Amino acid sequence: MRTAPHGSKMADAASGGSGTRPGSKQAGTPADNYHLARRRTLQVVVSSLLTEAGFESAEKAAVETLTEMIQSYISEIGRSAKSYCEHTARTQPTLSDIVVTLVEMGFNVETLPAYAKRSQRMVITAPPVTNQPVTPKALTAGQNKPHPSHIPGHFPEFPDPHTYIKTPTYREPVSDYQVLREKAASQRRDVERALTRFMAKTGETQSLFKDDVSTFPLIAARPFTVPYLTALLPSELEMQQMEETDSSEQDEQTDTENLPLHMSTDDSGPEKENASVLQQNTSLAGSRNGEENVIDNPYLRPVKKPKIRRKK
Amino acid sequence: MNRKKGDKGFESPRPYKLTHQVVCINNINFQRKSVVGYVELTIFPTVANLNRIKLNSKQCRIYRVRVNDLEAAFIYNDPTLEVCHHESKQRNLNYFSNAYAAAVSAVDPDAGNGELCIKVPSELWKHVDELKVLKVHINFSLDQPKGGLHFVVPNMEGNMAERGAHVFSCGYQNSTRFWFPCVDSYSELCTWKLEYTVDAAMVAVSNGDLVETVYTHDMRKKTFHYMLTIPTAASNISLAIGPFEILVDPYMHEVTHFCLPQLLPLLKHTTSYLHEVFEFYEEILTCRYPYSCFKTVFIDEAYVEVAAYASMSIFSTNLLHSAMIIDETPLTRRCLAQALAQQFFGCFISRMSWSDEWVLKGISGYIYGLWMKKTFGVNEYRHWIKQELDQIVAYELKTGGVLLHPIFGGGKEKDNPASHLHFSIKHPHTLSWEYYTMFQCKAHLVMRLIENRISMEFMLQVFNKLLSLASTASSQKFQSHMWSQMLVSTSGFLKSISNVSGKDIQPLIKQWVDQSGVVKFYGSFAFNRKRNVLELEIKQDYTSPGTQKYVGPLKVTVQELDGSFNHTLQIEENSLKHDIPCHSKSRRNKKKKIPLMNGEEVDMDLSAMDADSPLLWIRIDPDMSVLRKVEFEQSDFMWQYQLRYERDVVAQEEAILALEKFPTPASRLALTDILEQEQCFYRVRMMACFCLAKIANSMVSTWTGPPAMKSLFTRMFCCKTCPNIVKTNNFMNFQSYFLQKTMPVAMALLRDVHNLCPKEVLMFILDLIKYNDNRKNKFSDNYYRAELIDALANSVTPAVSVNNEVRTLDNLNPDVRLILEEITRFLNMEKLLPSYRHTITVSCLKAIRVLQKNGHVPSDPALFKSYAEYGHFVDVRIAALEAVVDYTKVDRSYEELQWLLTMVQNDPVPYIRHKILDMLTKNPPFTKNMESPLCNEALVDQLWKLMNSGTSHDWRLRCGAVDLYFTLFGLSRPSCLPLPELGLVLNLKEKKAVLNPTIIPESVANNQEPVNSTNNHGQSVGFQNTFSNSQEEEEIDMDTVHDSQAFIYHHLNMLERPSTPGKEQSSGEINMHPVSAAPLSVFSKESNSSKHSDHHHHHHHEHKKKKKKHKHKHKHKHKHDTKEKEKDPFAFSNSPASARSIRSPSLSD
Repeated sequence: MRTAPHGSKMADAASGGSGTRPGSKQAGTPADNYHLARRRTLQVVVSSLLTEAGFESAEKAAVETLTEMIQSYISEIGRSAKSYCEHTARTQPTLSDIVVTLVEMGFNVETLPAYAKRSQRMVITAPPVTNQPVTPKALTAGQNKPHPSHIPGHFPEFPDPHTYIKTPTYREPVSDYQVLREKAASQRRDVERALTRFMAKTGETQSLFKDDVSTFPLIAARPFTVPYLTALLPSELEMQQMEETDSSEQDEQTDTENLPLHMSTDDSGPEKENASVLQQNTSLAGSRNGEENVIDNPYLRPVKKPKIRRKK
Repeated sequence: MNRKKGDKGFESPRPYKLTHQVVCINNINFQRKSVVGYVELTIFPTVANLNRIKLNSKQCRIYRVRVNDLEAAFIYNDPTLEVCHHESKQRNLNYFSNAYAAAVSAVDPDAGNGELCIKVPSELWKHVDELKVLKVHINFSLDQPKGGLHFVVPNMEGNMAERGAHVFSCGYQNSTRFWFPCVDSYSELCTWKLEYTVDAAMVAVSNGDLVETVYTHDMRKKTFHYMLTIPTAASNISLAIGPFEILVDPYMHEVTHFCLPQLLPLLKHTTSYLHEVFEFYEEILTCRYPYSCFKTVFIDEAYVEVAAYASMSIFSTNLLHSAMIIDETPLTRRCLAQALAQQFFGCFISRMSWSDEWVLKGISGYIYGLWMKKTFGVNEYRHWIKQELDQIVAYELKTGGVLLHPIFGGGKEKDNPASHLHFSIKHPHTLSWEYYTMFQCKAHLVMRLIENRISMEFMLQVFNKLLSLASTASSQKFQSHMWSQMLVSTSGFLKSISNVSGKDIQPLIKQWVDQSGVVKFYGSFAFNRKRNVLELEIKQDYTSPGTQKYVGPLKVTVQELDGSFNHTLQIEENSLKHDIPCHSKSRRNKKKKIPLMNGEEVDMDLSAMDADSPLLWIRIDPDMSVLRKVEFEQSDFMWQYQLRYERDVVAQEEAILALEKFPTPASRLALTDILEQEQCFYRVRMMACFCLAKIANSMVSTWTGPPAMKSLFTRMFCCKTCPNIVKTNNFMNFQSYFLQKTMPVAMALLRDVHNLCPKEVLMFILDLIKYNDNRKNKFSDNYYRAELIDALANSVTPAVSVNNEVRTLDNLNPDVRLILEEITRFLNMEKLLPSYRHTITVSCLKAIRVLQKNGHVPSDPALFKSYAEYGHFVDVRIAALEAVVDYTKVDRSYEELQWLLTMVQNDPVPYIRHKILDMLTKNPPFTKNMESPLCNEALVDQLWKLMNSGTSHDWRLRCGAVDLYFTLFGLSRPSCLPLPELGLVLNLKEKKAVLNPTIIPESVANNQEPVNSTNNHGQSVGFQNTFSNSQEEEEIDMDTVHDSQAFIYHHLNMLERPSTPGKEQSSGEINMHPVSAAPLSVFSKESNSSKHSDHHHHHHHEHKKKKKKHKHKHKHKHKHDTKEKEKDPFAFSNSPASARSIRSPSLSD
């Protein structure tokens, strides 16, 4: 276990996350190597800190856990700092971003300088230099447009020209009725045909001709568990329209329902639980029965508790 | 029906009066489809010696019967389970129908009979002698009922409520006995208490007032308590249980609507109209709706679209629709109105006996007609009347008559008023469904005839009188003898009419009610210029089946130049010719407007008419006041005038029909004018489309201009600027909507000189489909698109086939390719965006069958069979099944026929089962006079079993099977059966099995062997001869028929209380012998033999012959049902109680 002095660990790790450094070659992909090297450095850091704290040895699992923790911590600082910097419309984090981040994470920044300067600290060697994996470059097509003069140079480059290229049209939009209808019709037909063919291709089919199953493919008939629902209910779109009209009708109803009369006459008793239900449906009962004025439909009444139990 | 018809009112056929019944269903298990419960009947004996109580019960397993808390013996016997008991080689329908009628009679509650016979415990005899109340308590259960109660349990995840599982009562006529023991008669009224304990997420809807709903102790279930205080017949009791959504009618809070989950928005819309129907009926009847509440329940897999019960109606869920659907709306409203009319007449007012049924059906149909007139207008009403009239006339001429009021005197077969039919009309349960439909149709038409005679005002007064009598009676809670006022009888109704109107309608009743048949008139005329007289000749055909002679007044309307004149001719025995003086001289030069019947005056182009005659047109019986068919001859121009200027839609329709025979340019013009005329009734215009197509086809060689109707359609429905493109749909004007739907269908019937559909027409229809655009429409276009597919199908003509080549894609006709393209797309789109009621799928299936039939596409039932499976929407299934039925006929496929018959036996939906038989009957694979490879012995056997025992759970289905058997084989022995080698021997063989050792003790030893080895017939023929009666062979049939009836009587009489003095003479003798242990020993001996049914059946026959010399009790009879069931895969007999009753106390005492 070697020790090496190191300054601001966090800052290092944070920048290390984004920086690029050449490194030694090992087996595995460059990306693996890169990450392994970083992790090893973190392990060294943890080990040295442990030594510093007076440990003589540590179990591997403990070291691994601590490494994991420190890595999470550093990553979080990096992520948070990045957010703060982007929040203020910058691309590079500044010191103040880091400070705010640390404060936000409950870290006492004041103590940091003193800690950094403590006497017994160990110096850690720089991590081995590894190549950061090269992200394959996107295929460039054409020359990127240079920034116009009013855009500062540090702004990102324009994207590839093909992403914003446009072909001007010169034809007038068609407004002729016949053509429009024609178009709408053939478009709909094409969509329908494509859709049904797709469905037929991807599912079971039936055919009218035994020798040819592809020319007139029929989507296989599949029984429903509740056949009347699909047969009777309008499609969702139609349903919406209907509900709108329904609710307006209901409004009218409740208007008449709220006519002064009763409400108070029938508040007593067990009906209270269901008062909301009742109110919704309450209205003037026809004078037919002459019994009650409140809508008193037996199906809306609450279900009674069993008698014997109530006596108890 | 032994009851004497009398004015004294109702005489109960039962020796007791039922006053109250409790029905309690404690448990309903949807998984197992079972029901457990009990009933309690409160009865008052009306004779001192009441010792047995006969009730109706089918399917129910009866556990225990108690009378006033004392265990009671009972016997369960249902002869309708298996109509012909022994393995008969007869197989002729005459035989079956008689036996079936006898079996139904034997349990007919209107004759005091029933399947369940309960012996009053001897401890209670004294109690009974004092005519004190008896309480009959019956515990029963139902397991997987096949009829009466229908369970719908979708096969999916979730609990029963989430699945939308429900159950409801259903059936044809009095079918309540299928789900609880009762007196299943329309004439036995009582008050009811109904209790149903169901899952807490479910609702139980039943008759009367919901008093309260109480949770069970575990709070998992709740009990619905109903009270029905208006005396009601058991047959009007119903039940529906399911996770229903509840809607209280916003206009009438006593009315509650129920539907299955998710359908509430549809329910709201569908029922939003109902209150107007209520108002209408209450107003014309000047009578309140008789019950304190009304419930409508919409359920799936309905038995019939509309079923009316006391204070509730059960509808098919398929009647529900949204505001966007045009076509279904009037149909559904009609159903609602029909159901409500039956609430007054049918539920509240019940009938005394089956022969009074016509009064109830007539009145409810009649007031429903009045509602139609008010709601849809006079045109629609008259159109409907004409349609109904045409239907009943066609049916009666085909089958030989529908009798509204059958009277059965003496029960002699020779007096049978319906000998022309292949079924008995003595009972509702033996009637062919089609006959019953026509019966209802005729009933309301006859009511209309009565109205014509006595005026509507009196008619309504009569109804009001019936209703107020009934409601007075119904409020007499404790005077049950008054309740018979709630029953209507033919004589009571007629008496009421004569009291109210003071008119004698007896001749009318005699003609149309007491007698079957319709009138067939042939009319022709000549104009006598000299005398200025119209010589009208009216002949009648009264010799053909289904006809009758008409004598009496007949109205004739003559439209002359000077106006329209009514003449009433007296049709008498021998007068054929009638001279009618004309009012106007022949054509005058000065042009003058011509006055019409309705006072309107119109200009006419008179150039077409005969210059010598002032007659424009003549109509015989314009008001349809006779049930008749009129074939009248007048020249084409007269029909054309009639079409153009007569304002009565019926006259217009008649003219259109007549013009088919006159393919001339003048007819064409008249029809085109009518088509264009917007004031004209839309149905007339629709009819004109089809007539025009026919005329155009007849005139094909001289036709000029574009195909018929094309330019008209273009003008009415296409864009002004681009006439080949149809306007975007706007169906706000319903008249033009219907016309727009119909015209392409009619146009597709056009044919060119090669008898092909003109290319122009096909392209036109394809364009309509292509440019159809419904985005801005307020209404759904599914019916319109479906009709466009129908139009495509109509355009298909037979393929030109060379050397019977196999149909492949390569030799597909290019036009057909286009059609197929559309059908494929439509059918596939239906899977993604289904249309309302899948109308488009239905049309596509029909079109595919047309293509198959015309040889464009290989004939193959596989596609249809997949659409016919359970799980598709019922309309789709029916369409698919219709195609399979057609395939069976065309391709004579035994396999498909078997497939269909299997479905008849096994399909979960009763309506589908019924419909398959119905379609097979209407489009039979072969008929009785036809040679067919399908007609073989196995099929005869199969169908025989189906109607003999396989359909005992559904009367409608059984009658459907009888109809099919009749269509295929006729009344007599099916021709495909091998001739019996020696008729006599055959019958003797039967007899042999009949011989019962207990009758002729000395023969036991000899007989034992042949009985045990039933195959071993031949040897004992000679021997048997000595025992068999010496009657001729023909009579043996009849004997066995009477036998089954007698056997049942005998059987039921066995329980007769010994001390009963002379209540029934026939049973008196038997009663001398106490019910002893003797039968038990007989029984145990008998049980060794395999042919029980034969034994006791014929045993009794012998028994009778011997003038009751040997009086033994044979108690083993009820055993045969279960025995037979095991033996016979097609015997669906379900009489669990019978097995149980063997061990019942009756046998051990």
